[in-house]
Order: sequence, then structure tokens, then C-alpha cells
Amino acid sequence: MGVAVLLKQVPDTTAKISISGGRVDEGSITKWSISPYDEYALENAIQLKEAGFGDVVAITCGPARAAKCLTEAAAVGADRLIHILTDSYLDSIQVQSLLSAAVKETGFEVVMCGKQAADTNSGSTGPGLASTLGFSCVGGVTGVSIDGGLAYATRLGPSGLEKVEVGGPCVFTFDKGDSELRRPNVRGIMMAKKKPIDSLLPNDLGIGDSDSMVVIKDHSSPPEKQPGQKFVGSESVPEVVEKLRGEANVI
Amino acid sequence: MAYEALDFYDIDSLLTEEERMVRDMVRDWVEDRVLPNIEDACRDGVFPDEWRVEIGEMGILGAPLKGYGCPGLSYIAYGLICQELERGDSGVRSFASVQGSLAMYPIWDFGSEEQKEKYLPGMAKGELVGCFGLTEPDYGSNPGDMITRAEDKGDCFLLNGAKMWITNGTIADLAVVWAKLEGEIRGFIVEKGDEGFSAPEMKGKHSLKASVTSELVFQDCKIPKDRILPSVKGLRGPFSCLNNARYGISWGAVGAAQSCFNSAREYALSRIQFGHPIASFQLVQNKLSWMLREITKGQLLAFHIGKKKDDGSWIPEQISLAKMNNVDMALEIARMSRDIHGANGILDEYPVMRHMANLESVKTYEGTHDIHNLILGRHITGIQSFTREP
Repeated sequence: MGVAVLLKQVPDTTAKISISGGRVDEGSITKWSISPYDEYALENAIQLKEAGFGDVVAITCGPARAAKCLTEAAAVGADRLIHILTDSYLDSIQVQSLLSAAVKETGFEVVMCGKQAADTNSGSTGPGLASTLGFSCVGGVTGVSIDGGLAYATRLGPSGLEKVEVGGPCVFTFDKGDSELRRPNVRGIMMAKKKPIDSLLPNDLGIGDSDSMVVIKDHSSPPEKQPGQKFVGSESVPEVVEKLRGEANVI
Repeated sequence: MAYEALDFYDIDSLLTEEERMVRDMVRDWVEDRVLPNIEDACRDGVFPDEWRVEIGEMGILGAPLKGYGCPGLSYIAYGLICQELERGDSGVRSFASVQGSLAMYPIWDFGSEEQKEKYLPGMAKGELVGCFGLTEPDYGSNPGDMITRAEDKGDCFLLNGAKMWITNGTIADLAVVWAKLEGEIRGFIVEKGDEGFSAPEMKGKHSLKASVTSELVFQDCKIPKDRILPSVKGLRGPFSCLNNARYGISWGAVGAAQSCFNSAREYALSRIQFGHPIASFQLVQNKLSWMLREITKGQLLAFHIGKKKDDGSWIPEQISLAKMNNVDMALEIARMSRDIHGANGILDEYPVMRHMANLESVKTYEGTHDIHNLILGRHITGIQSFTREP
């Protein structure tokens, strides 16, 4: 019994991203963080642990720097840390296969992750993992409680809050919820530092990390926003109307 | 944009992972909780109680002390905590300095086993607030001539006198008070509510407005016999506390200077005059590079003295140099940053004027700038210049 939480390390949402030679220059990113939606998944998992629902295993897949997000998870209460170490670019199916293999290894039947990662925004990991593992999947949840072998997830539906009851193994993907994310404290940090990280290579899980089916050809910055135009006085009304009609095409 | 602290010589690479994590935790807390609220706190002249609670929850109080529920971090980590808190506001760092270095430390080093067990765990959690009573209305740089007296009444001590400029005084649950017992300076623990003890707040400060500053008044204040700190006599007691607090200030000043530098840099890049960002003008670049130079030197001083605190090879004069230099440079940087901000620099939209006003206090407390020069002068020449022969 317990929860497997999937964490992705992404450039901090406030970090400056620069492009060099058609690629995001990772070396210039000064701050990496746990993807924000994943943090809500982690918070919920720790709340379940505090309510008596077993351990929290934090799993990440990525290069050596990604280990930091596991230590951060340990500092707020994750019990076991698994790092699938790879420097390769992986397509979604490869990521899902690696993470599924790691989840299988834990034996846990409740998986939590963010609804999408802050860098790629693809939103495929949770549902893909559920499909690979044969689990059900409830997406965009803001909270999960577990009672008598059943999980109850809350999510924002089209006409209000939905409460979804789930009986079997399930992947929950998290939206930003109401719960305040906990801060680490010194005691947590000191314990996290001592916590070992199970470092696995893709081969250890019987899965290759080469031959990605998706190849990123090029990165480029979005076009710079054009500066605004300022009009003063009623005499400029005809000009503004003309521009709204001719250039902005809004009237 | 994420806050990127100036770190020109990559001090970051010299830190352990634990030290970096502690720093980032405090940095995030300051970002989330202090910066959005500090101007209100200053305007209202209060230290918000939730800051006390949250600082306690982070577990950073009494950072380098070990045992009795204290964190047991390195002195480098303690320095980083001070740096990040003071990047927010010197008043927040003052709260932590006084609690950790001036109130917890003397109990931890000079207290009885019972005193340590009674006070330290609660103080580490921020549940009990401490203050430190040394300075008096008429005795600041010259604490040795203090007037406050303790009298042994057989079944209790009787304290008489007054202390002034006491950070945390009014909100404190206990005060470590230095008083003369039969002509010798001793430390006493006075609890809030002890008969004959009051701690009125000092109002009207133009500096450290988000920090509580108080008088401590003892009028036939009766305290039990077990409240004396048994293991220290003379000025060595308060001076050992001050060494730790001054060490923390040498880092804290770096944080205030980093904040002022950042604000000046951002402002200079976005402020257009004569058709160009003012950052493109040589006079402004000269100021910014001077700031970078001084902050970098200050960081190296703080880091090195931190390493020496950790391995025990420091001498107090080295701490005097770091405190004096770093506060001096931070104050000059705050003034220069205000200058770069032009008229905007006086607004509370920018942190610089607040840091500037705060640093005027920091320059004076915990050994004035001049007193630290005299400590160094004595070290260099072997001749003390504090007192004149009668």
C-alpha cells in the first residue's frame, strides 16, 4: 500500500530560457524545479501517507541533475526515491514505459502525477502510463482521498465539482488544487540528504532509451511582442477605427 | 523573473547540497511571505507573528547549535540563512539573530542542563521568543560600566536597572539579562511575567520598522536562584554571543546589498533617458561595477570567516572586520542604488530606501563601525584606545 508519485524536473517557471544553436541552452538555466502540477500530486500523496495510506515513492526520469527533485521530495516527506537515469531525449512512449516499469517494481496501485509538465505541456504521461499498466485514469483532479479501499477524486467538471469513485488501480493526474504546498524544514532537509536514491539505468528496467520515434528538429524563441500604439484625443478615433478594422481585424 | 542573487565568484559551488537546500528554502520563504508583506509591516511598525511561527516551522533558529532540539547546521548554513532573511529585511534577520545568537546561544553554552532543557527546544521551534539585555540607556559601546545590578537575597535574586534598544523585547517570553552581581557581570534569565519586570516598546524608529525594539525595566525584579547562567562570568559571556551575531550580520549585509544591487541593475536597464537605458551610461556602469566588486569581496570575507567558524580557527577580530566591512559596503550600496533609482528610489515600490534606513541601525548595533575599527586597532598595535587612564 502506498502512492507512487511521478516527478519531472523542469526549468523553473521564472527561469530565463535562451536558445543557442537551435537548442534550448540548458547550461544557462540557473534554476530547475519540480514541475508545478507534480508538486500538487506530491502534496496529496504525502497527505495520504499522513492519513495512514502507506509510503510515498517518488520517481523521476532524467539526467543526473534530476536527482535534486527527488531529494526535495524527500525533504517534504517522500519515503523512497527512484531515479531512472538517462541523458537521452525520450519520446512519450519511452518515458511511459520506463516509468511504468518503475511503478511495477514498487507494486503500488495508486499513481499520482501532474496533469502536464511545465516544459513540454503534452499531458501524455499520466494517461499513457495508465494505458501501459492497465490502470484506470482520472485526469485533472484537485484532491484524492482513500477510504475503505476506494479512492475518491475531486475534479472540476463542466457544471461544477465532480467526485469520482475509483475501485481499482488508478493513475490520478493533478491540476492546481486548493491545498497549500508544504515547505521543507531543516529537519526534513537533513533527513533527505541521508536518504539513498535508487538509481536505475533504462537497461535495468529492460527498456532501451535510444531510437526515440520523435526527433526535435529545432528550438526557437517565440516572436517578440510588437510594441503597443498610443492614440490621444478624439481626433484619432477615425484612425483607430481604421486600424482595428484593417490591421487588427477585430471589427 | 526569478531572483538571481549576485554570485560573481560562484560561492554557490563551494556549498554543500544541504547548505544550498537550506538557503533555497529560506529564499523561497522570503520571496513568498516577506517581500509581499514587508512594506505593510514597516508601515504598521510590527513584526508579523506568523513570520515567527513560520521561521520556527522551518527549523532555522539557533542554526549552528547542536542538541536540545536545535538544528545543528554549519556556520556557513547559518550565514546563508542570515543572508536570505536580510535580503528580505534587516528586521527579519534581526529577529533570527537575536533569538539564535543572543538568546539561545548563551543558554546553550553557559546554561545549566535544566535551563537548556527547559528553554532551548521551544526556542528552536519559535514557540518561545528570547531577547538579550546588555545595552543600557547610558552604556552602549561601554557595557562594562553597566548599572543594572543583581542582589543575592538568599532565596532569590533581585534585579534593578534598565536596558535599552532590545530587539524582540516586548514580544519575548524570556530575556537573557546581563547584570552585576557583587561587581561581576553575570547572565540571568528573566521570564515574561516575573514580578517587577516590564518591557515597553520603543516607538518612532525610522529604521528596522518591522522589528520590535524595547526597553527592559527591572524594579526590584525577583527571580528564582536557578535562573543565573552558571558557567560564565564577566564580559566574556555577552561578547561570545555578540561574536556569533556579528558573524551572522556579515552575511546578512551581503543579502541586503544583493537586493539593492538587483533592484539598481533592473531599474538601470529599464529606465530610458536621453533615448537610451541609463544602464548604457558610463557613470551608471561604474556604480554597478563598484557594487559588484564590493559585494563579491564581502561574500568572500563572509564565506571564509564562516569556514573558520566551522573549523574553530577564528579570532574575534576577524569577525569584527567582516561585520564592519560588510555593513559598510551594504550601506554604501544601498545609497548608491537609491541614487541610480533617482526619485523613484525613495518609494516603497523599491526595496532600496528601506534597506538603507535599516542598515544605518545595523552599522551601529552589535558593535558600532568605529568600535570595530578600535578592536582592529588594538589588534594591530597592541594598544587599546577605548578608555583613557583617569
